[in-house]
Amino acid sequence: MKAHSINCFSLIAVISLIGCSGRESGPPAEAAQVKVYAVNYPLAYFAERIGGGAVEVVLPEIEGDPAFWQPEPDDLTGFQGAGKILVNGAGYAKWLDYVSLPQSKLVHTSSAFKNQYIEISGAPMHSHGDGEAHAHGELAFTTWLDPMLAIEQAAAIDAALALPESGFEALKSDLLALDQSLAAAFTRLSGQALIGSHPVYQYLQRRYDLNLRSLHWEPDMMPDEAMWQELQALRRTHPSKILLWESEPLAGIKARLDAMGIQSVVFDPCGNRPEQGDYLAVMRANVARIESIQLD
Amino acid sequence: MIDILQLACKYLRFNWIKTSIVVVAIALILFLPAALDLLVRHGATSLLTRAAGTPLVLGAQGSPLELVLNSLYFETKPPPEITYSEVARIEQTSLATAIPIYNRFRAGGWPIVGTNLDYYPWRSLELAQGRYPLMIGECVLGADAAKELSVQIGAHVISSPEELFDFAGSYPLRMEVVGILKSTGAADDRAIFTDIKTVWIIAGLAHGHEDVTQAPDDDGTILRREGSRTITNASTMTYNVIHAGNRASYHLHGKIEDLPLTAVLALPHDPRAGALLRGKYLRADESMQMIVPTTVIESLLGTMFRLREYLLLGSALAVFSTLSTTSLVFFLALRLRQREIETMHRIGLPRTRVLGLLATEIAIVIAAAVALALIFSIVFSRYVDLIMLEILT
Repeated sequence: MKAHSINCFSLIAVISLIGCSGRESGPPAEAAQVKVYAVNYPLAYFAERIGGGAVEVVLPEIEGDPAFWQPEPDDLTGFQGAGKILVNGAGYAKWLDYVSLPQSKLVHTSSAFKNQYIEISGAPMHSHGDGEAHAHGELAFTTWLDPMLAIEQAAAIDAALALPESGFEALKSDLLALDQSLAAAFTRLSGQALIGSHPVYQYLQRRYDLNLRSLHWEPDMMPDEAMWQELQALRRTHPSKILLWESEPLAGIKARLDAMGIQSVVFDPCGNRPEQGDYLAVMRANVARIESIQLD
Repeated sequence: MIDILQLACKYLRFNWIKTSIVVVAIALILFLPAALDLLVRHGATSLLTRAAGTPLVLGAQGSPLELVLNSLYFETKPPPEITYSEVARIEQTSLATAIPIYNRFRAGGWPIVGTNLDYYPWRSLELAQGRYPLMIGECVLGADAAKELSVQIGAHVISSPEELFDFAGSYPLRMEVVGILKSTGAADDRAIFTDIKTVWIIAGLAHGHEDVTQAPDDDGTILRREGSRTITNASTMTYNVIHAGNRASYHLHGKIEDLPLTAVLALPHDPRAGALLRGKYLRADESMQMIVPTTVIESLLGTMFRLREYLLLGSALAVFSTLSTTSLVFFLALRLRQREIETMHRIGLPRTRVLGLLATEIAIVIAAAVALALIFSIVFSRYVDLIMLEILT
C-alpha cells in the first residue's frame, strides 16, 4: 500500500513536471550529401576515394601531427554538424577523450580488428595512493601503415557511407598493390637492423617482419648528447645502419648520422595532408626511398 | 434591486470573518476535484506523449517504474547502475541507436543529465542561446533551470556532493554554461545536460592531474617509483575546474565500457528492429531489462485513474459535507437574525424582499467562492511544478 502511494505521488509529480509539450520525435532525416569529417589524412583520403563527388570530406587544418591536435571549441563546431566522423581508433587522437561528439555519427574504422592492436610495452604507469596502477596511450595507433589494416579501415568507411556508387574496390586494388610494393622493398632489408626515429612504425614492422627498434627523436630538433649516447647504446645490441624518419631531418642531424655510418631514410606515415600529391603518392615515394637504400 | 444588493453587501462586509470562512470553504471544495481531474487528465496525455516518444529504455533489473521515471523525467532516485558496454551491445546489433543516460548528480537542486549529442536532435531540443557542449566541463541548461538559477552563457554551475562529507567520492565540478535550451514544457526544461564524460568526472571516475611521471622526486607528491610505475600521494592535484590549460590531462580510470550509466535509450530503426531487440533481453539469466516506457506508464496511469475515482468520490462526500455545513451556517445565521428580520418587516420591507435579500447574500457568497476557486486554479496551474517538486523531494 505504501509503495502504491509512492508510485501515485511520483506519477502526480512527474505529470506536473513534464508539462504539455508533446515535442517528441524520431531521429532527424539524413542529408542528401554526406559531409564527412576525418581525424587524420589517411581516413580523409580513403573517404575521398570511396565517396568521390558524393561526399564532402573535411580534414581540419592542423599544424603538425593530427594525433596530438588539441582543438579549441571553435575547431569542433564543424564536427558536430558532420554527417559522419571518421575516427581511427587504437587510442589515436587523444582529444576525442575530452570533447563531445555525436556518437551516432562516429565511424570507428578500426573496431573490426581491435584484436590486432599493438600494445606499447613500457608505457609509463602511475597510481593515486593505493589506487589501481594505470598507464595512458598504451596502444600503437598508426594502423594504416599496414595496408591490409588500411583496407579494413577503408571497408568500414565504405560500409558507413553506404553509397550507391563506391570507389572502394579501386582503392582496395591500389592498397593491395602498395602492400606488394612494400613487401618487395622490405624483402631487400630482411634481417637488417633498422631504427625508427619515433615509435610510429609498429604496424609496418609487424606486417613486413622488420627488425626495428625505436627512439624518441624529432626530425626538426637536434638531439642532445644523452640522446646520441642512447643511440650508441642501442647500436651495441642492435647494430643498425638505417634510421627511418617521419620527415626530412635537420641537415646537422643527417650529417652526424652519416658520419656514424647511418643512412637517414624518410618513411612518412602521412598522418597529415601532404603539401603535394596524395596518400598513395606519399606511400609510393616511401617505397622508392626504401628501394634506394644502399646495402653493404 | 440596488438597495437589496447594497444591504446584502453591507451585511456580508459587517460579518466578514464568517463570510470569508464560508467563501474559502466553498472555493476549496469546488477547486480540489476540478484541479485533480484536470491535473490527471492533462498530465496523463503529456506523460504518455513523452513515453511514446521514447521507444525503449534499457536498465538494470529492478523497478521498471523507477527506471522510466529517472531516465525520461529525471526524477526519483537513480536506478541500479549498468555499464557503458551496454551501449556497444545495442549498437552491435545494428537494430537501434543507443543514447546513454547517467542521471545521478545534481547542481543547485537540478538534475545533471550526462548523455551525448544525439540526445538533443532526437528530443527536438533547440538552443535559445549559445551552443551545445563541445568539451568536457561544459553544460547546457533547460529553460526553467536557467531561469531559476539565474545564469547566462559563460556563467558556471557547481555540482553538489552526494553527501555532506563525501571525501572519497565525487568531486564538485564547476561547469561552464555554454548554452540554454528553448522551453519545451517537458522535463528537459528542468535539467542540466552535459557530456557523459563530464558526469564521470563528477563521479571521480575520470580526472586530470599534473604529469606525475615528469615530476621531480622531491615534488612532495611522489611516494615512490617502481620501474615505470609512479606512486603518488593523495595531494596529487585533482582539478574541479576544467579549462583549456588542463583539459588535455583528463583521462578515464579504467576502460570506458566499464564506466557506469543509469540507463540507455534505445531508438530502433523500425518496429521490427524494436521487437528483435527486445527479444534479445528476454533470456531468464539476463541481468538487464528492456522496457517499453508506454507499457509502464499506461500501467501506472491505470492505477492513477482508479485512484482518481476514489479521490473524486471522496471529494463528492466532502462537497456534500461542506454544503451541509454551509446550509447549517446559513440556517443558524437566519435564526440569529430573527430580530433583524422582524425589524425589517416592521419598517415596511415585504417578506419577498427579505427573502430576496437573503438569496442575494447567498448568491454573492457563491459567486465569490467560484471566483476564488478560479484564482486558486490559475495560481495552482502556474506553480504546480514547484508544488509537486516539493512533494517529490
